[in-house]
Amino acid sequence: MARVKIDNVFKRYGALQVMHGVNVDIEDGEFVVLVGPSGCGKSTLLRMLAGLEQISDGTISIGERVVNDVPPKERDISMVFQSYALYPHKTVAENIGFPLKMAKRPKSEIQEKVNHAASILDLAHLLDRYPKQLSGGQRQRVAMGRAIVRNPQVFLFDEPLSNLDAKLRVSMRVEIKELHQRLGTTIVYVTHDQIEAMTMADKIVVMRDGRVEQIGAPLDLFDRPESVFVGGFIGSPSMNFLHGTVSSQEGRQVFRTDGGLALPMPQAGLADGHQVTYGIRPEHIAIGDEGVPVNIVVTEPTGSETQIFARVDNDLINAVVRDRIYARPGEQVGFVIDPANVHLFDRQTERRL
Amino acid sequence: MQSKFLGWALLAPTLLILALFGVVPFIYVLFVSFHQWNPFGANPDMLFNWAGNYRKLVFDAQFLASLGVTAAFVFFAVLSELVLGYALAQALMRDFPGKAFFRTIHTLPLIMAPIIVGSVWKLMTTPSIGIIPNILSNWLGYDLNIGQSAWQAFATTVIMDIWHWTPLVTLTLIAALVSLPADPFEQAQIDGANRRQIFWHITLPMIRPAILATVFIRMMDAMRTVDEVLMLTGGGPGSATRYVGVHIFKEVFPRTNYGYGSAVSVIVLYLTIVVCWLMYVGLIAPRNKGKG
Repeated sequence: MARVKIDNVFKRYGALQVMHGVNVDIEDGEFVVLVGPSGCGKSTLLRMLAGLEQISDGTISIGERVVNDVPPKERDISMVFQSYALYPHKTVAENIGFPLKMAKRPKSEIQEKVNHAASILDLAHLLDRYPKQLSGGQRQRVAMGRAIVRNPQVFLFDEPLSNLDAKLRVSMRVEIKELHQRLGTTIVYVTHDQIEAMTMADKIVVMRDGRVEQIGAPLDLFDRPESVFVGGFIGSPSMNFLHGTVSSQEGRQVFRTDGGLALPMPQAGLADGHQVTYGIRPEHIAIGDEGVPVNIVVTEPTGSETQIFARVDNDLINAVVRDRIYARPGEQVGFVIDPANVHLFDRQTERRL
Repeated sequence: MQSKFLGWALLAPTLLILALFGVVPFIYVLFVSFHQWNPFGANPDMLFNWAGNYRKLVFDAQFLASLGVTAAFVFFAVLSELVLGYALAQALMRDFPGKAFFRTIHTLPLIMAPIIVGSVWKLMTTPSIGIIPNILSNWLGYDLNIGQSAWQAFATTVIMDIWHWTPLVTLTLIAALVSLPADPFEQAQIDGANRRQIFWHITLPMIRPAILATVFIRMMDAMRTVDEVLMLTGGGPGSATRYVGVHIFKEVFPRTNYGYGSAVSVIVLYLTIVVCWLMYVGLIAPRNKGKG
């Protein structure tokens, strides 16, 4: 187990710079999730931690050791790839025992540890099988077995659940989290799925275009997104955004959309006329007669909740309500918004105000 | 029913050609091998002599010796081609200036007819006019005379075969290496394997099917080498390079001993099948057990 420190890391491919001074501190035993859209640099960062990718500038340390020039095999890390990367010609037992065999451990010890890992992951009855005889979930567990058998300082996971079907993904999510609680090893986990990030992480690192956008606990990110990007990325269905200006009305400041509709906002002491982006989560919009009148475009009942899409100016605004709404398209309803749930961002910088 | 007929109809040309050029000649050779037949001998008629030819070849010292040198030839040639071919394949996996050019010229030997290869090598190795003996004696003070030295002749045939057929091995192994997934190799680095361990535990097992296929093809080809060696050494000096193919040729054509030559051919075919079967049983079958 160890701390991991990523300090001002840059990555360049020739003249092209893809990583622009990334700083992340990972505490001992922490479960950190790197999340972001495709091409944001999260996998590259993980591969740099693994040593599969060189860094152009900055330092990476694992434990107290700077590992910039340490090859992967000496970093004392384990990695689980999206494709699982099982050795196709080796049995499950040989796959799991491979890191120990490379370390030239005695056969009896290898067998003992393989059996132990197999019992943790419920693989004991599959030890003689070959990877192609296993289902996706089983392969996933073999890859995890191979990762835990060596008892490394850090586990790296590169989108390990992306190839599984939705149901299996949920159960593997629980298994990985359980494994973390059991072993207490530092985990760095890459995903593009914000639900995975929210449910598993102690700390989430949101990345975008080779930069860290925000670091924080899942609920902090949800409650106080530092930018429009984080606000839109974290949470499902995602946050609604409207563009407009701050103006005063009856002694209170309100948000006025570019189309002229007034919406309640927190009294943040902004100057009138300030150009802002207004963010409100779908689940924070209630339906009521006293609310802002809007026209319904589509309703989507899912049984447990109803999604309502309504038009405000030229934007579609999404509200999720627990009640069953039987309104038809074209009907008018009122959107009730509590100013406390509104997120205001500067329209130019897209940062939180 | 119609689809069944159509299937056979589509296969018919292939089957016909196979029968005409494969099965019929084989049965004919088998038939001839049970006869004494030398059309230019004292008695030009085909005389049925049971297994007389086969009994004779068991005691034919020249045939047995040719089996021995063939085995040595196949072993050294195929092994060297495999090692060299793998090294070249790995080299060609990397990028270096002139790679495309080198890859092209390196496959040129493949498109040359064996008889040409034999003639060119004959020219290159003839003492006093050949370039190879010249260079060896001028630069290294080494005398190469494949017309006199048995082992030099043997080594030269092996080297010629390597020169001719290594590109085939290289091409097959490049194809195998290119198609390998990258992930297991990165995984192996993380799992703590060094380069040597990655080679033995990951690369080699993963390209094993390609290696075995190449070895089979090369073995069968090398066992029936005739024209190159015939051109280069004529099977000599003595019988140092009288490989079975050369042996059969000499029995059948200069001596027109068709019956006996046919018997030798049948036995060589049989031995080739046995060797391949042993390799299959020893190398491939056990690995496939349990794999779905």
